[in-house]
Amino acid sequence: MDAMNDVIQIKNLGKTFKDFWHRPVVEAVKALNLTIRQGEVVGLLGPNGSGKSTTLKMLLGLLRPTAGVITLFDGRGPEDVAVKARLGYLPEVSYLHEFLTPRETLMYYAALFGLPHAVAKRRTEELLNMVGLVHAADRAVGRFSKGMARRVGLAQALINAPELLILDEPTSGLDPLGCREVKDLVRLLAKGGVTVLMTSHLLADVEDVCDRVSIMNKGVLCANGATRDLLRNPDMVRFTIPGLSTEAAAEVRMQIEKQVDRPVHQDFPEMSLEAYFLKVVAPEAGGQAFKMASFLEKL
Amino acid sequence: MISLRAALRAKTVFALLLLLAACVTLLPAVIKGDGTPEGDCRILVMYTIGFAFGILCLATLWAACALFAAEIDNQVIQLSAVKPVRPFEFWLGKWLALLVLNGLLILAVYGAVYGQILWKRRQAGWRENVQLVSRHIARPLLPTPQEEARETYTFLEKQQALPKGLSKGQILRTLTEKAVERYTLVNPGEQVAWRFTLARPVTPHEIVTVRIRFDTEFSTRTQVEGLCRFAPHNPGAQAIEIPLSDFSLNEIVFDVSCQVFGVTNTISGFDLSFKHSGDPAKSSAVMLRFRKDVALLTQGGTFEANLVRSAIIHWSVLALLAAFGLTLSACFSLPVAVFASTLLLLLVMVGTSVTEVVSQEDEQDWLKKPGIVISRTVNTVAQHAIRIDPLDAVVNGERIETGPFLEALLWNLLITPFGFALCGVLILRRRELAAGN
Repeated sequence: MDAMNDVIQIKNLGKTFKDFWHRPVVEAVKALNLTIRQGEVVGLLGPNGSGKSTTLKMLLGLLRPTAGVITLFDGRGPEDVAVKARLGYLPEVSYLHEFLTPRETLMYYAALFGLPHAVAKRRTEELLNMVGLVHAADRAVGRFSKGMARRVGLAQALINAPELLILDEPTSGLDPLGCREVKDLVRLLAKGGVTVLMTSHLLADVEDVCDRVSIMNKGVLCANGATRDLLRNPDMVRFTIPGLSTEAAAEVRMQIEKQVDRPVHQDFPEMSLEAYFLKVVAPEAGGQAFKMASFLEKL
Repeated sequence: MISLRAALRAKTVFALLLLLAACVTLLPAVIKGDGTPEGDCRILVMYTIGFAFGILCLATLWAACALFAAEIDNQVIQLSAVKPVRPFEFWLGKWLALLVLNGLLILAVYGAVYGQILWKRRQAGWRENVQLVSRHIARPLLPTPQEEARETYTFLEKQQALPKGLSKGQILRTLTEKAVERYTLVNPGEQVAWRFTLARPVTPHEIVTVRIRFDTEFSTRTQVEGLCRFAPHNPGAQAIEIPLSDFSLNEIVFDVSCQVFGVTNTISGFDLSFKHSGDPAKSSAVMLRFRKDVALLTQGGTFEANLVRSAIIHWSVLALLAAFGLTLSACFSLPVAVFASTLLLLLVMVGTSVTEVVSQEDEQDWLKKPGIVISRTVNTVAQHAIRIDPLDAVVNGERIETGPFLEALLWNLLITPFGFALCGVLILRRRELAAGN
């Protein structure tokens, strides 16, 4: 991979929060180095106060680093409007104007991106359809539940067909179906070449969708690498065989034990609770994935 | 349009609309006038519009303070700030939104008041007694207050009577302030004369109105009598003399048809003199502020055009307040911005009174000095905004002249807001728009 494909380059990034008298209060991020390439889905993990959100806000130009450099796309700083035109952002809480309806919210943000009215209108309708809010498109968002507001937030993050999508806790407040839809969406966007950087406390979500994981603790990057590499246990091997009878399974296990001269653990794979929930409540969830795919194709 | 629709959904804006509607419809009925149609007209224009404008001033200031400060405080700005919009565009967008909203509200207030005036003019007595006019106003040719202050300073310097402990600038400023409000005493038997140049010459068929406002010593007006001599500058023109005996009100107004001067050309200037012809033993001296109290009025424009100019000036003052509020809003949190802006607005309103009553002792008191300096600074910045009192002009039938009107717009809509915008944008560029978690 060459540097031309680097969408985000962070070098020695540091952030120290100061009080009114400019005395340092907390060092939120310390000497962070991170590079994210085009099309990657990267999960930024860490406990509360580890510096994830601070890092994201510095990437977006909402906070100023006290040390280090951030460059996005072609070596530009995060405050460059040309960079902002290629970004989509979903904050931890969907900070929306409570008196606007979802339709107006999307039209408003489309206008901030300078989209022509016809394009903005078309994209607004497509996004409302995609996030499943057509029925509530003309109700003020101030009366929405957290999950519905989250969907509006997600839609506004996509209004400009961004090349880099920054999602802060994207599944927070969503029901399992909504979580699945968001994860499907992230995968579809990545397939289309969109770079995604997300934070989440739900490790299963990150594991499901992220190519790469970076873990921060107390402002320091502790681990960074491909999800599979980080999670792989090189000392263990698992075979998954469909439709084996109990007798045949016992025979296979005996053969393997003979071969490796060690006890072998045998179990029956279980589906995740999320998969079971989706199977029960939304067997047609594939339809939503189709809706998203067709929307992305249009973009 | 989206912002306007959203604003109309807010309960605060709805409450403001209700308050304005109540003010425009109920206030004329609640305030007791003097029972004359002129008094009713004055209440409608002066108090109803004035009160509504006061409400709009506070509402605009507080709304402007909320636009950035509240969005930063509740983090809503995070979504907008990451969009490709420059800080100047942000500032301008919010300012223009307030301008549009204020424009609509001012239009509604003025429209409602004008509607009431038209409706009342259909009642008996109104059409005869209330003249909806707009007239050019000419003031006597006098040295400017600054020139007069310099002359007085030179005089005091020669007499070695300058106050000690004050700088030349401080003394000149005080003398300038005093020059505007200075009364000249006209004792019985004394005469004063003024020369006027009209901005727009009048034809012999037009009417010129002479207006002299006055006070008398100890506010006693018994036995005060006078004689006015009035003549155009034209060579060979006849002068007329008007005896004045009714000093029961603090204003003498009389109309003069230019035909009486026997001139055929247009008249571009007049000489006016006033002689106190009261009994020296019984009557009080007449007190006149030449710069404020003596005026010639000539026909110019319509009442409606004057009302429109007044509305535009009020709108421009609101634009100035919006700019000020937005800049404070970019600097401080909402409570601090609201407190500071309201305090400064009050200072502007009482600023002239504060600076006028400052004594020499106050100037030297280091505890009072910061307050005096702040009052004077605020007053200097706001002087262009409050120079014209449009409602006073409309009520008195004085045309808001194009020069001062355009000057007010230039300062209120362009120069001062640009200065505020510059400060606001610089702060927005420096300020972090999100809190650390």
